[in-house]
Amino acid sequence: MDILNHLLAGFATAGTPVNLLWAFVGCALGTAVGVLPGIGPATAVAMLLPITSQVDSTASMIFFAGIYYGAMYGGSTTSILLNTPGETASMVTAMEGNKMAKSGRAGAALATAAIGSFIAGTIATIIVTLFAPVLADYAVRLGPPEYFCLMLLALTTVSAVLGQSTVRGLTALFVGLAIGLIGMDQITGQARYTGGVPELLDGVEIVLVAVGLFAVAEALHAVLFEGAVKESENKLSRVSMSASDWRRSLPAWLRGTAIGAPFGCIPAGGTEIPTFLSYAVEKKLAKGESLAEFGNQGAIEGVAGPEAANNATVTTALIPLLTLGIPVSNTTAILLGAFQNYGIQPGPQLFTTSANLVWALIASLYIGNVMLLVLNLPLVGLWVKLLKVPKPQLYAGILIFATVGAYGMRQSAFDLVLLYAIGLLGLVMRRFDFPTAPVVVGMILGPLAEAQLRNALSIGEGKWTIFLERPMSLTLLCVVVSVLVLPRILKKRKIAALI
Amino acid sequence: MNFFSIKKNQEFILSLGVIALALGLALGASGISSEAGYAGIGPNFLPLLVSAGLFLCGGFLFWEALSGGVRNGPDSDPSQASQAKPCWSGMIWMSAGLLLSAALITTIGFILSCALCFACAAHGLRKAVASSASSESPPHIRSWLIDVVLGLAISAPVFWMFTKFLAISLPGLTQSGWL
Repeated sequence: MDILNHLLAGFATAGTPVNLLWAFVGCALGTAVGVLPGIGPATAVAMLLPITSQVDSTASMIFFAGIYYGAMYGGSTTSILLNTPGETASMVTAMEGNKMAKSGRAGAALATAAIGSFIAGTIATIIVTLFAPVLADYAVRLGPPEYFCLMLLALTTVSAVLGQSTVRGLTALFVGLAIGLIGMDQITGQARYTGGVPELLDGVEIVLVAVGLFAVAEALHAVLFEGAVKESENKLSRVSMSASDWRRSLPAWLRGTAIGAPFGCIPAGGTEIPTFLSYAVEKKLAKGESLAEFGNQGAIEGVAGPEAANNATVTTALIPLLTLGIPVSNTTAILLGAFQNYGIQPGPQLFTTSANLVWALIASLYIGNVMLLVLNLPLVGLWVKLLKVPKPQLYAGILIFATVGAYGMRQSAFDLVLLYAIGLLGLVMRRFDFPTAPVVVGMILGPLAEAQLRNALSIGEGKWTIFLERPMSLTLLCVVVSVLVLPRILKKRKIAALI
Repeated sequence: MNFFSIKKNQEFILSLGVIALALGLALGASGISSEAGYAGIGPNFLPLLVSAGLFLCGGFLFWEALSGGVRNGPDSDPSQASQAKPCWSGMIWMSAGLLLSAALITTIGFILSCALCFACAAHGLRKAVASSASSESPPHIRSWLIDVVLGLAISAPVFWMFTKFLAISLPGLTQSGWL
């Protein structure tokens, strides 16, 4: 009952005209950045971080959350209609969605993606509503050793498990940790790697790193290497689903949600695994006509399942963010940065100290999902027009917004030079296929993890065995080791089986 | 074959860069106090750990480059744009736009410097598209003009939105608050 009361209070806060407007603008903007190639939710939220100095915390978190999941709706539009997916999260949707669009069923693909996103998003929001407070109650009992192990798990999965190569992921993670080191040590107040520059005492702004790595690097990559890339756009057909489309989509949506939701809850980030898993399941379950469509004309289950899994994952990823303060993706890491700008540290206490904010945020998820369904079903034709923006003007425009974000944060022209330098770093990383998520997550989570580590060791009076003596932290350490080792053993076995 | 050897050289440079960064971090860490208090590890612990980690990664990347190039790299996906010839002139235009606007933003204001950046970047991107399509470049002055106008048309509303509605200070050319 307590939860219901809180939620109703949340709706009361989120339902004020001003907050509804913020949610709407966030959803619309999110859909736009999702549709536009070259700019994603992480970049968009990072560019808009300067508003945290003026706008009140509830309004801006509602706004950012709108961008966050609006982009997931918009991303599917691009991946279905264009041969290049807008978001990494919608890569799987692109596989079947593109084929459906090529055989003239773009409308059905878009409809199943939007409705599936709505259903999965709503179910996942219910999961957030029911479980986040429970988890927060439990998380209060965790001490620094457990927190450190949880953060270690998040850092490990984001760098070593996702992505193509462990060594490149780890390199990116260490670069991120190194950036996070710049500034004042949280515990002793000692300056580290500031080189005597007073501005660096506060550390490097997240805006700079995120916008540099994503937006500027993306533009530089486009100008250097993508001149020759030809894009083909598929024709939009009427956005509607036949009775058989509904019959085939509904179970796929629910299966996708069931696969995606748990992945968001654990600090093991990324939507790649759940979406691929959902795709594999749908393909495995397909029979007869639908099986024949997989990979040929495009099967609707292959769009419905992964799209639902995607939205379920990004929504439930708010649980570890809100209750533990642990981000598992680029965008949630930047959302954590937004909280920090307000002096709020997400964690188990958040549900008591900032109950208003949290519940308004959760309520706005319900509202936003409805808004997005309306924005994406009848109005999809409007968004499709965004795909017609020519590449030169698109990337040049993104650079203007990058300038606003980077300059607006600290009003320093030097930051713009730094932004360019980070863009070059991002370009090199992109060229050699280094993942960028570990840099951002490492930079934000690094200082927090360090503080927990040193607190934990203080509790243990300097003995590292403290991590082994407490059952919970020992369990978590075993999980960390197993996520590092298991995939390798499985791979070896697979290779051995092939030989 | 030539392409792969260039690529391999780049990989060597990259791995050496990572190692150099690790050594730089270690050097910086030596100046940080190790005063540990109760924890047994001080403020210099994580810097040393990070530099050691980077050193190991750099060494591993070096070994990968030595023994036949990176594993599971972008090359393993032949459909990617990474095989295309890079367009350096376009890159220079875009870099010039970004750095010029950084240098001029406090003197000529947000709107003008961003319009300049927009025009340079768009010009660079157009060059990139034109060079790959080997088609004639578009009429010069006209496309420049269009880009400048477009740049102004984007940056001016952005400037007004951020300064008027969100009260974030951005530099202007005049004190009027509109330019």
